[in-house]
Amino acid sequence: MPFTATPIVGGDAFDQACRIGQEADRQLALIDDPAGHLACLRRHWDSLAGLGWLAVAMPEEAGGAGGTLSDLAALAGGAGRGGLPLPIAAACGVIPRLLADQPALLPGLAEGQHRIAFIPAEAAVDDAADVLILASDGSLTGAVVGIETPPDPTHLLLVLGGAEPALLLLPARARGIEARHYLRIDGRPAADWRFTGLAVEPAWVLGRGEVVARRAAEARDLGALLTCVEAVSAAGALLEQTIDYLLNRVQFGVPLASHQALRHRVAEMYVEYENLRGLVLQALRMAAADDGMPWRDIAFAKLRLGEAGRFIAQSAIQCHGGMGMTEALPAIRLARRIMMAEFEFGDRTFHAQRLLDAGRSAA
Amino acid sequence: MSAAIDYEAFRTDVRAFAETRCPPEIRAVVATYRKLSRKVWYPWQRILFEHGWGAPGWPKQYGGTGWDLKQRHIFDEVMAECDCPPQYHHGLRHIGPVILEYGSEEQKQRFLPGILSGEEWWCQGYSEPGAGSDLASLRTAARREGDEYVVEGQKTWTSHAHEADWMYTLVRTSKEAKNQQGISLLLIPLNAPGISIRPIRTIDGWHHVNEVFLDNVRVPVANRVGEEGGGWTYGKFLLERERLGGANVAPALRQLERTRELLARELGGERHRLKRAMLEERLLLAEAELRGAQALGQEAIAAVMEGRPLGLLPSVLKLGTSVTFQHVAEVALDAVGERLAPRFRPTDAAGPNAEAPGIEWVQNYMYSRVRTIYGGSSEVQKNVIAKQLFGS
Ligand SMILES: Cc1cc2nc3c(=O)[nH]c(=O)nc-3n(C[C@H](O)[C@H](O)[C@H](O)COP(=O)(O)OP(=O)(O)OC[C@H]3O[C@@H](n4cnc5c(N)ncnc54)[C@H](O)[C@@H]3O)c2cc1C
Repeated sequence: MPFTATPIVGGDAFDQACRIGQEADRQLALIDDPAGHLACLRRHWDSLAGLGWLAVAMPEEAGGAGGTLSDLAALAGGAGRGGLPLPIAAACGVIPRLLADQPALLPGLAEGQHRIAFIPAEAAVDDAADVLILASDGSLTGAVVGIETPPDPTHLLLVLGGAEPALLLLPARARGIEARHYLRIDGRPAADWRFTGLAVEPAWVLGRGEVVARRAAEARDLGALLTCVEAVSAAGALLEQTIDYLLNRVQFGVPLASHQALRHRVAEMYVEYENLRGLVLQALRMAAADDGMPWRDIAFAKLRLGEAGRFIAQSAIQCHGGMGMTEALPAIRLARRIMMAEFEFGDRTFHAQRLLDAGRSAA
Repeated sequence: MSAAIDYEAFRTDVRAFAETRCPPEIRAVVATYRKLSRKVWYPWQRILFEHGWGAPGWPKQYGGTGWDLKQRHIFDEVMAECDCPPQYHHGLRHIGPVILEYGSEEQKQRFLPGILSGEEWWCQGYSEPGAGSDLASLRTAARREGDEYVVEGQKTWTSHAHEADWMYTLVRTSKEAKNQQGISLLLIPLNAPGISIRPIRTIDGWHHVNEVFLDNVRVPVANRVGEEGGGWTYGKFLLERERLGGANVAPALRQLERTRELLARELGGERHRLKRAMLEERLLLAEAELRGAQALGQEAIAAVMEGRPLGLLPSVLKLGTSVTFQHVAEVALDAVGERLAPRFRPTDAAGPNAEAPGIEWVQNYMYSRVRTIYGGSSEVQKNVIAKQLFGS
């Protein structure tokens, strides 16, 4: 029996998320136009909201399921394995965590009507002059790029860093906000946002000060951890599919799986996969043992995801030959997804920098 | 029952023991990567033995500690963290358990006490010039004459043969049987007539390994462990016992910590700015991998304790950790290389440079290359992993 991956957190939620992911991936593969693609994603968003995914981690008092990190990991893992191109880490984990003290917002969030895009303090900018600034008169200027969004976002949840941290929830169609929407290479909706003197109403400011910065950093780490869970799970599926391809593709009169060069490459992928899985398990274990986020464990996991994830994705592409350069196979769509995960919630140098800085200040 | 064991208290006890009872000069040898010879190992084994900790993995009735796997793992971890010599001798970890499992009562009485106290030192005679990865093709032959075997052939890469008293040896007792089935396991005293030992110089400059020539060496049949033709099974049993070796990443983490201190010491100032940044990053990547391996190691130990199969974990750990070890050694080499690599020469050779402070980092790098060769080379591990993954 060839290899089958074991989920990090299995169970019904994992299976359901995986099924929905596979279904979405299958349907999307048959759709050519971006509008059709978005409509399909929107249908899946609505259905997973209906299934209660967005309320999994919300407190029970607010009508949520009061779930644990492990419940989130089941969803993220299933979505990763199935290749669901929706921002599960942000929608189910990061945003509910940041809005946990906003009871008025939670029902709309849980039911999926509030479709919120999360803009972290570290969001990328094209130009240093674009860094977001909230002026003392309450006007917001600047531009951020490459922000992953749910389909048809209704709001932006924005963390402002710097000397005066703030958490803002902005209506996406407010005057003074321009958006350019597009689909990423892994089929996920994304947008660039420009703010041109947007007049921020006091009610849109959810919090200010150090506490915002701290909570935002924790939420980002939760996002990084769930992204790792999702990517490990995708990598497990990718390994299975790569093995399957090599067992079935015949060249020189024999299956490719009989060539040692390819067998060894797959063995190396497996070692990287296992090592990454170990780190993610460890981070989940530490997170469960403590209220805060074990940032160090998460930073190590995300750092390894950068290394191991890319190695696995690239190796899978190589093992598929020309087919590896196409979009035709689910395996290659998973590979692209794993490559993109690197750039969510801090890339490898971002996390390496944190770890090195902490080491230096301890020395 | 294991549920009652307070592992943290156990860890504290072991640490206190290691810190107070392991002589500083022995710890210094470990901390500076100098050669661990019998001269260093023996006194420490003696101290452990007298404390009742001579053989953590053996059953109590034969002088073991009765610790469970997790305790043994903690013990090994703390030893590494405290720079105590790893309690890894061929007698204790390899042939001892085989004798315990398959040896006769006389063999147990004769051999186990010497192993436990460290009085008798062992080496492993498996590899031959023509039989490395393909060990089953070994040709050293043992011909039966009455109640003796007459052994003829050559072993190679035999670690410690020059300081050992005994060699447990795989020999071919039948040429008719299929490769694996014609092999037997003999316990051969190294002072037997007909044995000669020649050192092999390795690239790290130290004398670890030897060629052992066996010229009509007479060995009593009573020195055969188990059945004639059963040697391969016993050899495999031995490997099974050591499968979790890779789960202990404490030595690698310790080396990493020391290397980090080296970078801080060695690479201050503007001249080394880029080098330091690059090496620190490489070290961080290695640390991430080691932490991943550590988590997998814990998973493996939990699996064994709960009676679940280990699957590919041992191979994954061996393959991964050996390479990471090498990466760490390479970082240290790159930190001191410009200054020290040109001065590196065999430590046994006379000359002023052999003693250059810090030269051990270069030596350690050279030695680290063996990690992916012995104990099942990387390529052999990948064959094992691929066979499982592909289902054939
Ligand atoms: C420092 C040191 C200490 C040692 N101590 C001992 C000891 O105490 N006792 C003892 O018995 N032995 C000992 N060994 C021997 C060690 O176990 C062997 O070196 C090892 O088994 C590899 O065998 P080989 O050297 O013959 O290499 P080979 O088997 O000749 O391998 C050469 C290369 O080919 C690769 N290769 C081999 N087979 C395959 C394959 N099927 N597919 C792909 N690649 C392959 C190997 O990975 C390696 O890279 C020691 C070796 C060293 C260097």
